[in-house]
Amino acid sequence: MEDKSGVKKPKIECVNISKFFGEGQEKIHVLDTIDLAVKENEFIVVLGPGQSGKSTLLKIIAGLYKPSTGKAYLDGKELTHPGPDRGIVFQRYTLFPWKTVMGNVEMGPKLRGVPRKERRGLASRYIDLVGLKGFEKAYPHQLSGGMKQRVGIARAYVNNPKVMLLDEPFGQLDAQTRYFMEEETVRIWETEKRTVIFVTNNIEEAVYLGDRIAVLEGKMPGKLKKIYDVNLPRPRDYTDPAFLELRHTITEETELTL
Amino acid sequence: MSREALVNNGPITEKPKNLGELLTAIFKNVYVLYAISIICFLLLWDTMAVMKVLGRFLPRPVEVLYQLYDMLVNPLAGKTLMLHLWFSLRRVLIAFVIAVAIGVPIGLLMGFSPYFNAFFKPVFDLFKPMPPIAWISLAILWFGIGETSKIFIIIIGAVVPCIINSYNGIRLVDPELYDCIRMLGGNQRQEVVEVTFPAAFPAIFAGIQISLSMAWTTVLAAELVGAREGMGFIIITGMNQSKPAMIISGMVVIALTAWAISLVVTHLERWVCPWKTNLE
Repeated sequence: MEDKSGVKKPKIECVNISKFFGEGQEKIHVLDTIDLAVKENEFIVVLGPGQSGKSTLLKIIAGLYKPSTGKAYLDGKELTHPGPDRGIVFQRYTLFPWKTVMGNVEMGPKLRGVPRKERRGLASRYIDLVGLKGFEKAYPHQLSGGMKQRVGIARAYVNNPKVMLLDEPFGQLDAQTRYFMEEETVRIWETEKRTVIFVTNNIEEAVYLGDRIAVLEGKMPGKLKKIYDVNLPRPRDYTDPAFLELRHTITEETELTL
Repeated sequence: MSREALVNNGPITEKPKNLGELLTAIFKNVYVLYAISIICFLLLWDTMAVMKVLGRFLPRPVEVLYQLYDMLVNPLAGKTLMLHLWFSLRRVLIAFVIAVAIGVPIGLLMGFSPYFNAFFKPVFDLFKPMPPIAWISLAILWFGIGETSKIFIIIIGAVVPCIINSYNGIRLVDPELYDCIRMLGGNQRQEVVEVTFPAAFPAIFAGIQISLSMAWTTVLAAELVGAREGMGFIIITGMNQSKPAMIISGMVVIALTAWAISLVVTHLERWVCPWKTNLE
């Protein structure tokens, strides 16, 4: 959208986004004038407590909500509708319970009309990538939470999206599985580089994953408070002093107690 | 859940040390308790029959068994028990198929279109709470006492759960599934095919299941008035001829049939929605 004066255009750009829900007396102000630019292949974490509107922001980028003011852009094109150029992973997994792992993962190509054999091959590759080889024929109710979310990640990746949107994907997992899935997320991202927008309320998770962390202020309306650069080498270590220091800084400055 | 708890407390888990523990273990076994339950019931029934607590119109269990055998072998009003059962089943099946064919599409339309729902719902809500038996007199005036009036009454009873469940099935689909299919690139038609129908299917199937048992209940009511064959006819004949054993035989066959039907449907469900197994 901006002029091409040598500076690399942002992959995703949010300009002046506000969001209200409801009408009249019951009108709720959820997001307040958010400006955010995400570079290509960047892993950005949107960190904020509950009610800070971080999921709403993600759904606006997804095209599932329309912003009340402002616009979101992907490659300079305004985002108004959901579409397969953005892969989404939901907190509640939201797999199709009547489909097997294979059926879930191959859904994107199937909707595009990719022939069966071809889309099965494609889906298999991503089932392998997320480490679910051998579970192709399992139904979601037979899988653990972590495995379900692997299916969710594979299902989003298989469409070869320009951007991955993850909405508190590990919020329902136990701590152990959560650490493991965070490692896996980095591994998958490093294998298949994408622009990632990852929403969480967990500071440790944010520091472990993000190239940058955009912190939203708590309590509605959500406002962008500060953006932190995380200049730590990967793979990161939760007990590394630099890691702990950044974690401490963010905690202090944002008073997020989670 | 409680059943599992009972089974887990059974005698297999720990070896009993003395007679007291052995007896406790035996009496904590569900299958033993099932058997005790049935034996107690039969004993109570038999005692009441022998002591004539309810006058002379309560037969002993053995008399009922004999009556059952008698009706299987010797025709009643020209038909054996199996033939009577077949007549009732045929009415149920015809009416059930018609009820599903009418009810499911109406329910689906109500779920898909808020306009159709607004148009249809007031009338439906008016008719919904009317018991199907209330229609018997009217049905006989309209269609006579032949097959049509009976099938009409059964349809009235069976169509309601089909409509309600199809409607709710469509309405209560998790909206995030729609978000999901849209993000994967699905168009409106694909939303319906890939999400709405499969997501609503278990609810619709449950509605069909309820319809079937409603139909089986309603057929008896329909046959109590002016039928020459069927399970309802057996019960009425038993009353007219003062043969309580015949009435109870009829009731037993009705219960067994209902049980068999539900068994078949449950297996069918496991086959058509495999993702629903172990959901409880």
